[in-house]
Amino acid sequence: MTPEARGILTELLRLAGPAASRSAVNRANVPQDDAEFTKTWADVLGESAAEECTLLAESISRAKGNPAVIEIPNEEAAWAIVRALSSIRITLRESVFPDIPDSALESEQALAKLTSKIPSEQRHALACYDCFGLLQFALIDQLDKS
Amino acid sequence: MAKTKANPKPKSSTRTKLETRWCVVVANDPVNTMNYVTACFIRVLQVKRPEAERLMLEVHHEGRSIVWTGGRERAESLVLQLQQWHLRASLETGA
Repeated sequence: MTPEARGILTELLRLAGPAASRSAVNRANVPQDDAEFTKTWADVLGESAAEECTLLAESISRAKGNPAVIEIPNEEAAWAIVRALSSIRITLRESVFPDIPDSALESEQALAKLTSKIPSEQRHALACYDCFGLLQFALIDQLDKS
Repeated sequence: MAKTKANPKPKSSTRTKLETRWCVVVANDPVNTMNYVTACFIRVLQVKRPEAERLMLEVHHEGRSIVWTGGRERAESLVLQLQQWHLRASLETGA
């Protein structure tokens, strides 16, 4: 990861963090039978999503070297980053390319065809979506082995 | 000596009341990957990897899976935790 890419991802996460927090609440199926309970539930979801996105942004901004090494202090933080990567991918999917069908996202060939036809904003978001997915996969793999 | 009734009526009837079973349901979503969902089930539901993978595949192929059933309080706690992992989890009452 070059310093330029690190800067872009950090900025993207800074911008997408609040949206990820809202999205986590809006997407969740929260029990509605008690107003106070519902609010607490939503607050917990929103706060944890925001904290995890901040942790992810800080971790990427502190990455050093080329290829960059992201240092994570402990396993708990690593799982928080894994969750944040999921949150940010869902937010990108919902806000930047909601019109791209699921089938296209799951097929490399279909995605390659599509990539040449979509606007650059969506293309960049798709690249980040893929990058975060790879990062998440690698991190889970490492955590499972440890 | 007190007389005893031949067929004393019971003072109270014994009834068996079934507790409502609450189901934690996870629906498929297009973003979260298979290894992520498996990792989530292992940590949140405290199940071994083969069971986590079985549940994950059920979600993937069937579109949803009942991943836990039991009392309401625990079910709510599990749904909240699964939602914190950004899975599409919900609470339903079982039959």
